[in-house]
Amino acid sequence: MAENLMLFAPELTLVLTGLFVLMVGLFLPTGAKKVLGYLASIGILVALSLTVSSLGTEGMAFNDTLSVDALSQFFKIVFLVVALIVSIASIKYTEGNSHTEEFYALSIFATIGMMFVASANDIMVLFVAFELASLATYALAGFEKKNQKSLEAALKYFIIGSLSAAMLLFGISFIYGLTGTTSIPGIAANITALSTSPMGIVAVVLMLAGFGFKIALVPFHMWAPDTYQGAPSVVSALLAAGSKKMGIVAAFKIFIVALIALQAEWQIAFAILAVVTMTYGNVVALKQTSVKRMLAYSSLAQAGYISMAFVVLTPLALGGGILYALSHGFMKAGAFIVTAAVAYMVLSDNKDSEDTDHIDNFKGLGVRMPITALSMTIFVFALAGIPLTAGYMSKFVLFSSTIQSGFAWLAVIAILNSAISLYYYAKIVKYMYFLPTDLEKVSEPLPYVAALLIAVAGVFAIGFWPEPFIHWAMEAAMVLIPGGM
Amino acid sequence: MAVENYAFLIPLLPALAFVLTFFFGKKLPNGGAIIPIAAIATSFVISLLITLNLLANPEEVVSQSFSWFAMLNIGILVDPLAAVMLTMVTFVSLLIHIYSLGYMSHDKAQSRYFAETALFTASMLGLILSDNILQLFICWELVGVCSFLLIGFWFQKPSAATAAKKAFLTTRIGDVMFLSGIVLLFTDLFKIYNGAIPDGVYILRFDVIFSHIPEIAAMNATIFGMEVSHITIITLLFFGGAVGKSGQFPLHVWLPDAMEGPTTVSALIHAATMVTAGVYLVARTFPMFIAAPSSLLVVAYLGAFTAIFAATMGIVMNDIKRVLAYSTISQLGYMMLGLGIGATIGAEAVGISLFHLINHAFFKALLFLCAGSVIHAVGTQDMRQMGGVAKVMPITAATMIIAALALGGFGIPGTIIGTSGFFSKDAIIESAYVFGASSGMWIPYVLSIVAALLTSLYIFRLIFMTFFGKARTDYGGHESPATMTIPLSILALFALFFGGLATERFNTFVSDTFMNDFVHVNIAELAEIGGYHLGHHGHEPLIILWLPLIVAAAGLLIAALVYGMKVVNMDRLVSRNNPIYKLLYNRYYQNELFTNFFSVKVVYEGLSYAGRAIDTGFDWLVGWLSDLVLETGESLRQFQTGAVQNYATAVITGVSLLIILIKVVMEVL
Repeated sequence: MAENLMLFAPELTLVLTGLFVLMVGLFLPTGAKKVLGYLASIGILVALSLTVSSLGTEGMAFNDTLSVDALSQFFKIVFLVVALIVSIASIKYTEGNSHTEEFYALSIFATIGMMFVASANDIMVLFVAFELASLATYALAGFEKKNQKSLEAALKYFIIGSLSAAMLLFGISFIYGLTGTTSIPGIAANITALSTSPMGIVAVVLMLAGFGFKIALVPFHMWAPDTYQGAPSVVSALLAAGSKKMGIVAAFKIFIVALIALQAEWQIAFAILAVVTMTYGNVVALKQTSVKRMLAYSSLAQAGYISMAFVVLTPLALGGGILYALSHGFMKAGAFIVTAAVAYMVLSDNKDSEDTDHIDNFKGLGVRMPITALSMTIFVFALAGIPLTAGYMSKFVLFSSTIQSGFAWLAVIAILNSAISLYYYAKIVKYMYFLPTDLEKVSEPLPYVAALLIAVAGVFAIGFWPEPFIHWAMEAAMVLIPGGM
Repeated sequence: MAVENYAFLIPLLPALAFVLTFFFGKKLPNGGAIIPIAAIATSFVISLLITLNLLANPEEVVSQSFSWFAMLNIGILVDPLAAVMLTMVTFVSLLIHIYSLGYMSHDKAQSRYFAETALFTASMLGLILSDNILQLFICWELVGVCSFLLIGFWFQKPSAATAAKKAFLTTRIGDVMFLSGIVLLFTDLFKIYNGAIPDGVYILRFDVIFSHIPEIAAMNATIFGMEVSHITIITLLFFGGAVGKSGQFPLHVWLPDAMEGPTTVSALIHAATMVTAGVYLVARTFPMFIAAPSSLLVVAYLGAFTAIFAATMGIVMNDIKRVLAYSTISQLGYMMLGLGIGATIGAEAVGISLFHLINHAFFKALLFLCAGSVIHAVGTQDMRQMGGVAKVMPITAATMIIAALALGGFGIPGTIIGTSGFFSKDAIIESAYVFGASSGMWIPYVLSIVAALLTSLYIFRLIFMTFFGKARTDYGGHESPATMTIPLSILALFALFFGGLATERFNTFVSDTFMNDFVHVNIAELAEIGGYHLGHHGHEPLIILWLPLIVAAAGLLIAALVYGMKVVNMDRLVSRNNPIYKLLYNRYYQNELFTNFFSVKVVYEGLSYAGRAIDTGFDWLVGWLSDLVLETGESLRQFQTGAVQNYATAVITGVSLLIILIKVVMEVL
């Protein structure tokens, strides 16, 4: 048992860190709460190094309801990296806030939920972990209690989230009712009753609606733009870069492992949703004036690309999708941290300004905040898929595997979409470097810069040395389809 | 801890210096100049130690590479060829940086200057260290970008911005050829391996390329009914890249305009970092050139032609920096000629040519820095407004005269007395004679000997017009500060003595660069593939050994008579009515021919006329499409009402629709 517990050392570290931060925070005066950010970051860093150092180990625990394998390790690293970036950046964001300990505890608990989803081998454990992450992020989205937009964002997120959770549970009840088990491999073994029943399609779609909410697939996405825009930028980073990937890994486990017998049904569904989502996301992003909202739509589009992996379903495509999840973590977390830095700059100009994420605030950012502007340029170019960045490599693997498997039409749609997306990505760069501003240069807060540099390093590492990452993502993909269909 | 293990630091330190200076330079004194100076000094020490090591054991080259992705790698290779280049580049660049402390002290954008020169140096060092052609190309492009930034350093001046653009675009023509060569080479190698490349074989690494030269040479393509070997096409494409970078005819047009940057940048470009890259590329891939029928002859002829062509224009320029620019083009022609002569003397050509490259770096850097010193003091670049500068700037004058003697090639044949340029340039001219004697092709030799006369003439014209006679305007200058004169003196020592001390040792050292642990190329066998007959130096007639000196002395004499003692009235020669003067002064109307006629009339107007019709159609189509997409975006935006009830409705509708859709699709399939 103790040995099995060691498999979850990273999670346990986080639990202890979260509780410790919460306890200590109660006794600290507001001015001294800055130390909590450092504590949380160190805890996450320790969990991250524990996960990296245990790469390659495999095992089951708690009556086989949790498993550690290449796939779970990969996604845990994605979540931990995003959590680390967010927590470092938040050191500045929470400065002088009397609720700092709650912020860090909640974001750590959300991360723990995501990590348990990645490890879940039982559909109920998966649901509970899913809800742990969801509940923590509902509260985080409304962290700015005096800011109406933040509250509205949280409430919308919460209502639609509850609806989706209900659907998810509804879907689970069908699956349990017809297979008699909640174990993920068990469902796959007893699938006959479900796959021959007309309820099969209903169960698939209900599950899809539940996960589609987190992944933000059209039409389950409508909360996302409002929430990403209204929530504090650092929380948006956690939602777009972390919690979205939780939906993806959960969908991987449920559809590809448990419901593989219903493959035909959900492949059609994912094909429709992928095309609609990427096109809708890119087209609507074109006309946005709020940068955070634009990033929200861009992240819809990226979710559409990743969904292609479900349609193609070869090891290479799944590897591409998994790699994309990691790359997207770096790019999107970084881009939202940039908006946080810009919001800080705008507020330091004028304490009462609203719409801190309006694109006009990015005018002349190249002069005002050179490091932030350069990082943003790197992130948006990576999101658009410019070579030598992580975005290019992931798109390359994913799209080329799509073409290889005979889904050329899907690849063409995706590539056309990438071309459209360049319009709004380049628009940000235009605002940052080619439109003048008469405002002064602002000193860039160190926590933001550090978080940005980590994200930039990730974007370039995958862009320059893709081999190890592709190999690693392929190993994770092999967990889903051991035979390599 | 062997110093070889730190070879990778040679380009990395200046690259790091670039980052540091770029971000923090403004807050430091002198624009943070100390960072690149320290970095390049360290690189120089490492390079020097590695070179000394290699001199003792020429076999033990430094070679480290690791996998990049698939069959490509990133790696470093320090063989004799790379070692001497590294040492020269770091040394010259270091001196130029020190000199810049004084020269750039009044410029507000100092930190940007030092950041960019550090990156320039780093890219060049990366280029030299590359052990594969792709990495070399990447650094090659980086060098191009830096040159663009530095030539356009004073981008407020329209002329500087134009010159930067011109340099970038002209060299781009060569770069595209170079890249096409790499692509062709890659496809050929891929074919040779039948697409199954074993692990650990990096197909664009030089050792792999060189070991497959016979197979590539066996592949043929038919162009205009002629059977041409692939190796010829690849090498000529590579040479196209070298022509662009090294300012050979007809892509030399960017070099004189590149004078718009600070003079120190000109020194860096002309001596150390940019133009030598082309010569280095040909030297690096020399085993491919010698296996390629007629490629080396193209190199030799074009080099010789460029040498004399540029020298004639050097005679009539009045801008002190432009004279030097044409001089660089001419000397690069000599280096290319030296490599081309490999058709007769084999790998020895690499040694001879590189030796001239190194010596040229010393005296050309010196010439530019002296010119910079003069311009700094006098405040003009026009030699007609100078005269008598030697009286106010004795150190500058003395060092510049030494550099001029080195460029002119003064020394006594058969002894070790002589300037560095004498040893290297005469070696090339004598080899051209051997080439002529063995192949019957005398044109390169004749061109090179006449160019030697012109070289001596234009450089002493510059000396006499600038330093002697009476001051023609009231400029009132003063000697430059020590940070500027000390680098001058050091370079002058090298221009005087390096050639005499190093010549024999250097040539054998570099000529053996393809015989070591990393690559082992049998040049003689490859030359047979290329159809070249290698011969050996015989005993040239005494007159051949003395002739270069005689013509150089003649050039000096003419310059002294005409510009020093004014025995001829120049006003009659220098007039718009003299057709030869007019032709030369207008630089053979290249600008009219290339820029105004070819680029503007033929390419620009012709293509744009043809393109306009197609363009309008596409414009309409693209405009219509983008309007459509933008409009759709705008109308879809309306869906997002903000009311959470609608969101919930969308979810429920989505679920119902999806169930129906899947059912329908399943039925249809």
